[in-house]
Amino acid sequence: MSWARTLALALRTLRRNPLRSLFMLLGVAVGIASLVAMASVGEATRQETMRQFKRMVGTFDRISIQPGSARTRGMPSLTSVEPTLRFEDADAIRAEVPNVRRVSREQSAFDIDVQARDKTATTSIWGISAEWMEIRGDDVTVGRGISPEDVETLARVAVIGEDLRKELFPDEDPIGKTIRIAEVPFTVQGVLVPRGAGPGGSSLDNLLLMPVSTASKRLFNRDYLTTITVQLEDPARYEQAVAAITALLRERHGIVPPVEDNFTVSNPRAAMEQVQEVDTTLSAVLVGIAVIATLIGGVVIMSLMLIAVSERRREIGVRRAVGATRADVLRQFLVEAALISALGGIVGVLLGVAGATVAAFQQQLSPVFLWGAMGGAVGLATLIGLVFGLQPAWRAANVDPIQALRA
Amino acid sequence: MIELEHVVKTYQREDGTPVPALRDITCRIGAGEFVTIRGSSGSGKSSLLNILGCLDTPTSGAYRLGGEDVSRYTDQERSAVRARRIGFVFQAFNLLPRTTAVENVEVPALYSGGDVDRGKALALLKRVGLAERSNHFVTELSGGEQQRVAIARALMNSPPLLLADEPTGNLDSAVGDSIMELLTDLNREGLTIVLVTHDERVASYAARELLIRDGVLASDRAQPRRPSLHAATEGAAHVVG
Ligand SMILES: Nc1ncnc2c1ncn2[C@@H]1O[C@H](COP(=O)(O)OP(=O)(O)O)[C@@H](O)[C@H]1O
Ligand SMILES: [Mg+2]
Repeated sequence: MSWARTLALALRTLRRNPLRSLFMLLGVAVGIASLVAMASVGEATRQETMRQFKRMVGTFDRISIQPGSARTRGMPSLTSVEPTLRFEDADAIRAEVPNVRRVSREQSAFDIDVQARDKTATTSIWGISAEWMEIRGDDVTVGRGISPEDVETLARVAVIGEDLRKELFPDEDPIGKTIRIAEVPFTVQGVLVPRGAGPGGSSLDNLLLMPVSTASKRLFNRDYLTTITVQLEDPARYEQAVAAITALLRERHGIVPPVEDNFTVSNPRAAMEQVQEVDTTLSAVLVGIAVIATLIGGVVIMSLMLIAVSERRREIGVRRAVGATRADVLRQFLVEAALISALGGIVGVLLGVAGATVAAFQQQLSPVFLWGAMGGAVGLATLIGLVFGLQPAWRAANVDPIQALRA
Repeated sequence: MIELEHVVKTYQREDGTPVPALRDITCRIGAGEFVTIRGSSGSGKSSLLNILGCLDTPTSGAYRLGGEDVSRYTDQERSAVRARRIGFVFQAFNLLPRTTAVENVEVPALYSGGDVDRGKALALLKRVGLAERSNHFVTELSGGEQQRVAIARALMNSPPLLLADEPTGNLDSAVGDSIMELLTDLNREGLTIVLVTHDERVASYAARELLIRDGVLASDRAQPRRPSLHAATEGAAHVVG
């Protein structure tokens, strides 16, 4: 029997047994739908994490050095860190470590009250080098950023984040206005381009930048840093740079292992890889669940087919009697299984896309559809039908026509 | 057309004990004959017919169909013989459910290697008197109508030989008679028919009767046809196709 005719016959059989066909189709569709949905959600999550991470750390060519051992957690603040990281450490890194492009010195403090005329807000304050914005890839929407002259002259100038602008200057141009921090007046000279939300969903736009020299000498009166950020010429060789910085700081701080370092050198690439690893594991679990669902679809196909084969023994007997070979019968049942599974796969993809869209909407992610993978999913469904249809089809092919036709 | 020589069929029970169904059958059936095989239940009629129909192979002995020894054919080769050279009619009709009359008639054409000729299937339905019922599902047909569809199906690939196992067994006698008349007509148009029955009345339609008893041919005799049945169909058209 030709393939075209086998296919036509399979279609007719499936159409004339709508209930059985529906259950077979749903069995496969549910599995494929979960596979597609899980893969889409997983991919959307991964991409979103990457985006957020990039937003938080800027580009991936940076190493950051913070005071305290690696066990120290959280964002470093002037009020909580050990006073071990000095301005001179940053100068030494700039002068002695190869492959360094820019170095930024930072002093940060959180939950600081600031005032602009009658309004008060709570924000985080970052004393920074002029290089900071370039290292991070930040920019201003209006005004200008912190310049080398600002740092040089200990200028009392501020660049503010969008959240702070909204709070302090909702309906006016902030440029040239005064913000008072602990009674020290600063002139607003720029507003940062909004960064959006970081991991966890909190805003990254509630902050105030000023020259690190001003922060150190005119505001906080502290001569240690909370972070040194190093931008590399060649990010590919970050491991050597980390090693060189570590060696230099140990020497400067008089630390000889096994004494614990009083600083921590980290790089966003490593952190990113860690995040991605967690993410990948999560995706793998989701996909694993979906694969199991898909296999269950296969088992559904197999059981319904086995029932169908025993119900259709007489039909098989008739076909054999009028000339069908075993191969004809095998092929007929296999094609039926593959066809209904492929249809189930298509329905599953549609359901999966719908499910992923709803899930993405709820999670406030933009849905990601791997169209190539969806073609693969339909292929997988067909394969599942073939594999799980094989045993029932084999059984059908081996029905003894004499037994089957006995009245 | 059919030559059986010392055909033996011995089944094997589950526990391994042999069940002799056919002991030593030797006979010939010529092209164009209408033969009944009559015997009581369990005498081996179906066993014999299954061998004639290439559904089963003899344990020993030879079966030649049109001169070829088909008793040693492989399963696949026997399928091809069934597809092109043999038509089957069963007691239980054995039409496919959820399938229309004409689709049932077409089934053998799927396995004969040629095209599926819907026109021929419709012509065959017309020949058995069911032109109006072509697109009915089989569940909408009476028993007699179903058996007519089955006969049309058996003729789809124009086989020279038709085998029928108790074709009237599930029908009341008036309907059974009409089926027998149809078969008689087909035989007069040249079709070779071998029909199994336990019923003397049915057997009387054929020109020759083989009596089988405990797996052995007990008698082989010619008998006069029932004259009243043939007057009307004398000189009938050839079987379609
Ligand atoms: N597959 C089989 N296995 C074992 N014994 C069988 C089988 N088929 C038929 N028989 C036995 O062979 C004998 C002949 O059976 P069968 O040819 O069906 O007789 P009939 O059709 O004349 O009633 C019976 O005794 C029956 O029980
Ligand atoms: Mg019988």
